[in-house]
Amino acid sequence: MSRRSLIGLATVGALLVLWYVLTMVTGTINTGRFPSPDDVWVAAGQIVAKGYANGRLHIHILHSLKLVAMGFLFAISVGVPLGLLMGWSRRAEALINPIFLVIRPIPPLAWIPLAILWLGLGDAAKIMVIFFAAFVPAVINTYTGVRNIATPIIEAARMLGTPRLALVSEVLVPAAMPSIFTGLRLALQASWTTLVAAELVGAVAGLGRILNVAQQDLYPGMILFAMIWVAILGWSTTKLLAIAEQRALPWVQVRG
Amino acid sequence: MSGIRFDAVRRIYGHEGRGIVTLDGVDLAIADREFVAIVGPSGCGKTTCLRMVAGFDRPTSGSVKVDDVVVGGPSPERAVVFQQFALFPWKNVFDNIAFGLRNKGVAEAERRERIAHYIKLMGLAGYETAFPHQLSGGMQQRVAIARAYALDPVVLLMDEPFGALDAQTRVVMQEELVRLSRVNPRTVLFITHGVEEAIYLADRVAIMTRRPGRIKEIVNVKPIRTSENWDQHAKIEDVMDLPSFVHLRTHIWKSLREEKGVEGA
Repeated sequence: MSRRSLIGLATVGALLVLWYVLTMVTGTINTGRFPSPDDVWVAAGQIVAKGYANGRLHIHILHSLKLVAMGFLFAISVGVPLGLLMGWSRRAEALINPIFLVIRPIPPLAWIPLAILWLGLGDAAKIMVIFFAAFVPAVINTYTGVRNIATPIIEAARMLGTPRLALVSEVLVPAAMPSIFTGLRLALQASWTTLVAAELVGAVAGLGRILNVAQQDLYPGMILFAMIWVAILGWSTTKLLAIAEQRALPWVQVRG
Repeated sequence: MSGIRFDAVRRIYGHEGRGIVTLDGVDLAIADREFVAIVGPSGCGKTTCLRMVAGFDRPTSGSVKVDDVVVGGPSPERAVVFQQFALFPWKNVFDNIAFGLRNKGVAEAERRERIAHYIKLMGLAGYETAFPHQLSGGMQQRVAIARAYALDPVVLLMDEPFGALDAQTRVVMQEELVRLSRVNPRTVLFITHGVEEAIYLADRVAIMTRRPGRIKEIVNVKPIRTSENWDQHAKIEDVMDLPSFVHLRTHIWKSLREEKGVEGA
């Protein structure tokens, strides 16, 4: 293990010890406001074994994962092609960019009321909100990725007699790929942020639902436990994306 | 005739009247299988000349023809070697060379044969599966040259191809290119600001004026190279020491020095 990650582990370990000491030994922190490790452990036992807020832990996790996956996939499958089109065609850019400039400054969460009005309190509204959150970074980064392709690369492709379709699939897309992946990463992060907010407003299941119910129950142990799971899921899906990126882009110089 | 032909080529950037005249009446004829280098002060429009043959740019008036046909858009018939290599970083060496051949519809068997030939000729054997970022600048330019030659183009266009390389690598590449062009003579238009490079490589050296660029003088190197038997010397420094080479170099330098704006003269 590298020196860097050892230091990282030591920091996390020290924080955990500090948490334990301040809450359970000295009692400096009031456990009614911030839970002790013990409280979190009890909350974990309850939700895993018996369930909380309409379901056991795995039900909530799967529900949140499903919403993020649907919103994210829907957003990138529309956003990436749109970004490619805008990057390549000046006409498409002139047509779409104004609409985009209007939508872009609206925070994704501001769509929640409209989404609920249109689609109700069910999953569809949440997917729509996640879609808007993930869509913007997917489009922007794909677009700039295509725009920033070095002119000689495009000229070389033309000189090599590249047919239109191959120009997109074999030149534009791979050349923009590092930037597209940046967009996907930002889109994924935005998806998780928005998911929790959307589920807080009203949901039958999901991590946001746990947070919402635990807040009403004045149950700090459960609140922290749900927060930890948001972090775990956000971190692991980002990690999966990073692995996919490494697999897809073996030609990208490893940044030291 | 075949080859490349510039007839009264003018190029004005911006609007007529207020625009910048880059080229003002370029006339130049390059014969079939002739190697012509253009030298000139920075900003004289020599790269613009090459880009017009490549089909990346068009003359404002006059014409640029290859094999008596006015140049339209870019085509694999007019292969370009770029100063910054312009390889596809996501394709390995083999696939970079193969890409243009696939676009041209060259059959698989012939494709493999041609690629293998140029990989061997350019000293790239063993690097077929390497990605460009794993190669030095000199090796990357070898790939780009192999890619251009493998297309079997009507003309080869080289835009300061060794300008981005370090001095030692540049010398090796110049010697390799001489070897390659003796084995495999092509119609070549070579843009450079290196006078010695131009004399060493080219059959004729065209000197351009400062902007607005015109062809000022054409120096015929080939008869001197043949009569003085330059090719018996394998190393560029031996050729550069010959009195006949020194004489040509001094002549071209003087001609360039008359053009104000020439850098480092």
